[in-house]
Amino acid sequence: MNKKRAIILNTVIIFSFFAVFLRLTDLMILNHKRLSERARVQHIKVEDIQVRRGIIFDRRGREMAVNLELESLYCDPESLIIDDVGIKKLSMTIGRKAEVILSKMPQEGRFAWIERKLDSDVAGKVRRLDIKGLGFLPEAKRFYPKGQLASHILGFVGVDNQALEGIELEYDEYLKTTGGKILFFRDASGKVLSSGVDIEAKGNNIVLTIDEGLQYLVESELEKAMLKWRASAASAIMMDPFTGEILAFANIPAYDPNNPMRVSGFERRNRAITDCYEPGSIFKIIVGTAALEEKIVDLNTKFDCSRGGIEVGGKVIHDAHRHGVLTFKEVIQKSSNVGSAMIGMKLGKERVYKYAKLFGFGEKTEIDLPGEVSGWIHPPEKWSGTSIGAISIGQEVAVTPLQMLRAYSAIANGGFLVKPHVVSEIRLPEGQVLVSFRGHEKKRAISTETAETFKDILKTVAEEGGTGHSASVKGNQVAGKTGTAQVIDPKTGRYSKEKYVSSFVGFVPADNPKMALMIVIYEPKGQIYGGVVAAPVFKEIANQALSYLNVPREDNPNKNFILVSR
Amino acid sequence: MKYDKWMLFVTILLIGFGALMIYSSTSVITPVLAKKNVTEFYYFKRHIFTMLIGFGIMFFAYRLKLSTIKKMAVPLLIFSFVLLILVFVPGIGVSANNARRWIRLWPSTFQPSELVKLSMVIFLAKYMSMLGYRTDSLVSFIKPVLVMAVFQVVFLKQPDFGSVISLTLLTFIMLFLSGIRLRYLAYLLVLALPVIYKLIMEPYRLKRVMAFLDPWKDPQGSGFQLVQSFIALGSGGLTGVGLGKSRQKLAFLPESHTDFIFSLIGEELGFIGVLVVITLFLFLFIKGISIANRSRDRFVYYLAFGLSLMISLQTLINFAVATGMVPTKGLPLPFISYGGSSLFVNMAAIGILLNISRGEENRKIADINQELIVRRKARRIIYGIRN
Repeated sequence: MNKKRAIILNTVIIFSFFAVFLRLTDLMILNHKRLSERARVQHIKVEDIQVRRGIIFDRRGREMAVNLELESLYCDPESLIIDDVGIKKLSMTIGRKAEVILSKMPQEGRFAWIERKLDSDVAGKVRRLDIKGLGFLPEAKRFYPKGQLASHILGFVGVDNQALEGIELEYDEYLKTTGGKILFFRDASGKVLSSGVDIEAKGNNIVLTIDEGLQYLVESELEKAMLKWRASAASAIMMDPFTGEILAFANIPAYDPNNPMRVSGFERRNRAITDCYEPGSIFKIIVGTAALEEKIVDLNTKFDCSRGGIEVGGKVIHDAHRHGVLTFKEVIQKSSNVGSAMIGMKLGKERVYKYAKLFGFGEKTEIDLPGEVSGWIHPPEKWSGTSIGAISIGQEVAVTPLQMLRAYSAIANGGFLVKPHVVSEIRLPEGQVLVSFRGHEKKRAISTETAETFKDILKTVAEEGGTGHSASVKGNQVAGKTGTAQVIDPKTGRYSKEKYVSSFVGFVPADNPKMALMIVIYEPKGQIYGGVVAAPVFKEIANQALSYLNVPREDNPNKNFILVSR
Repeated sequence: MKYDKWMLFVTILLIGFGALMIYSSTSVITPVLAKKNVTEFYYFKRHIFTMLIGFGIMFFAYRLKLSTIKKMAVPLLIFSFVLLILVFVPGIGVSANNARRWIRLWPSTFQPSELVKLSMVIFLAKYMSMLGYRTDSLVSFIKPVLVMAVFQVVFLKQPDFGSVISLTLLTFIMLFLSGIRLRYLAYLLVLALPVIYKLIMEPYRLKRVMAFLDPWKDPQGSGFQLVQSFIALGSGGLTGVGLGKSRQKLAFLPESHTDFIFSLIGEELGFIGVLVVITLFLFLFIKGISIANRSRDRFVYYLAFGLSLMISLQTLINFAVATGMVPTKGLPLPFISYGGSSLFVNMAAIGILLNISRGEENRKIADINQELIVRRKARRIIYGIRN
């Protein structure tokens, strides 16, 4: 019995236990993250599948984009047992050629799609064939129940539900946030032990500012106008001038987002924000408001337009019709180019440029849709001698219809530049609000006083004697401006004699605007003037929209009450 | 009749816990098990049956007279040697994985090498307590080493390198404990170097050593077991993935119910779980040593110390293998791993320790020894023999 040896031995054994403890601390605590990641990698093979994208609703909760639950057929080449008869039957059931099916069945691997997104009854028939090695995975197909309605807003997705356009693209991250994945648990040899699809994974829902009813109204009226004037295209935007909420937003031609590839890029163009054009007369808002704001004119300041033309930097600017001596108010009302050029020259380059910038021209409106362009207006130092005249009447600048609408909304709302947007809320699948865009950003562009004064002038445009009289709505006063712009022919580099863009922008009711509306008709045939081509479309839409929104009519208040006689 | 209740309690705790983990490991029908037509409770039922026999053996060892154990030391050693040889007899011996380590024992198999460890401890305890045993005598040292060598030859023949290692460690540690001259141990080590070298250079062993040194070099091949054990332990973290929720047992972690059950515990119950297991084993060791220290007799002292060492060495080797501290060597974790042979032998060891802890026999045997010593001394004085 050697006590010393026993003590040494005990110490060594106890120390060994302690060494194991230290080693375990290293493995299980310090290396926990690294090793569990490794475990996850070897246990789970994740295959991305179709995300249950969030649903898109209009402002009144009507579904604009939903998901259809379909089933996709795949094969596991390793366990696949199929003979010629089986292939033939399968080919008959899913309606594909046998060779096509065979080409989709690889010799190796564990997974290959055979046919995506089958209806459940077809899937059921395939199941009844009872072929070993075939399987189904649920997949969602994006479906737009309203067809081509609001197609340029909604956008569309590809076959793998990848976002390609519109809201789908702009809010893709939100729509598929939680994502959808298939989890395969594998054993050491790579065999799939079990698989589960995370069907519950749904993206967030989106609530638009768009009103389906107004959208339909705008689209159908626009389509009518396009047919009537045999125009190449047309755009219309309806916005709440105070909040920037887009109520309707349409481009014609449109497309069916369920089959977006059936049409060309021409139909898919969201021209209201992706195309800019020389606006023409509606751009006179710049010189008009600038002159008032800078107090270089009042409503009755006289401009002699009797010569029907004015020379600016060696070029003559003409009026469409010869006017006499016009007051400032009349210059805008009658859309005199000569008068506007005079005002522009009175203001000078710097101030004209300053106000164009204040109204947000040459910059994106930051609307939440992809593909917006900023348009352009050159800085004064790059202007030629003729520029001051041209810009005053809406040439040598490029704007988008949305920019124009925003500028006129500033007149409607007392001088503020709003931020246009089409999404009001993002909601969790369970319905709680995740993000709200109801807080309204606005910048002051001009003083309220100027806005009110200019609004009074715009009211006269739609009155008897104004260029936009045909935009007037019975019972509600319209304030607006017509525009007839020339298009530069790319072949000659000069203004085309046939191609024009007719537009009307305005808001109604003038003193308490419920909507600002911009109508643009591209290349109308027969008639070119905004007052003739675009203004009536404004009238039609405004008239019906006011009824739809239950806006009281001023001259006939009884219309909105039901009189019950005893 | 005052046995060590704490030791019994901890042993039962470990065995019960082992049964739970075996159920967790084998209740999931993995592709490998499915091929064997094994059901959910197959292993668990068998283990419960083994446990019951184990408790019988433990009780038997507990009731046995220590003097009987001492008397039976050599016959038991010969018996276990015979069993070991039977492994090579066709019809009785069972081979698996190119190794003949088991004998048929209806309805299962038995691994004699486990019994050899127990017999060796009893034999050494008896040998080292003999009056003729001298720590400064080379002959006293050589004799047990030769006995051990005979067993080693058979182990290598099977082959069972794990048993070689554990038997060698056990023998030398016990001789060390007795106070044998360190010089002798050093001589033997020098002499054994060429043999050790040759054994390690065996290609498949070399591969294992290389895999131990850098398991991540070939995680799909030679390093697979170790890497999977690391992944199991590491993914457990502090609290584990939850009882029964191991993913590693789904055929990634080989032998998750036997040699690598410790890694499974780590994965499912986490650092806290393995810490509890380590603590229980450490407690068992300390209890065993304190039982040894209370004895007044050399044989009983060596026996208690040796049995505690036997259990603890196997435990430590198993821990060290699972955590990659020593090269992979198939050794079960006492009381916890599935498998009867190990459980029977370790429960017998606990039975003997509990037996010793009672103290009665201990005293008796000490008295007898005392008497013997007195007689010898008397004889020496009478006949004038000096040593």
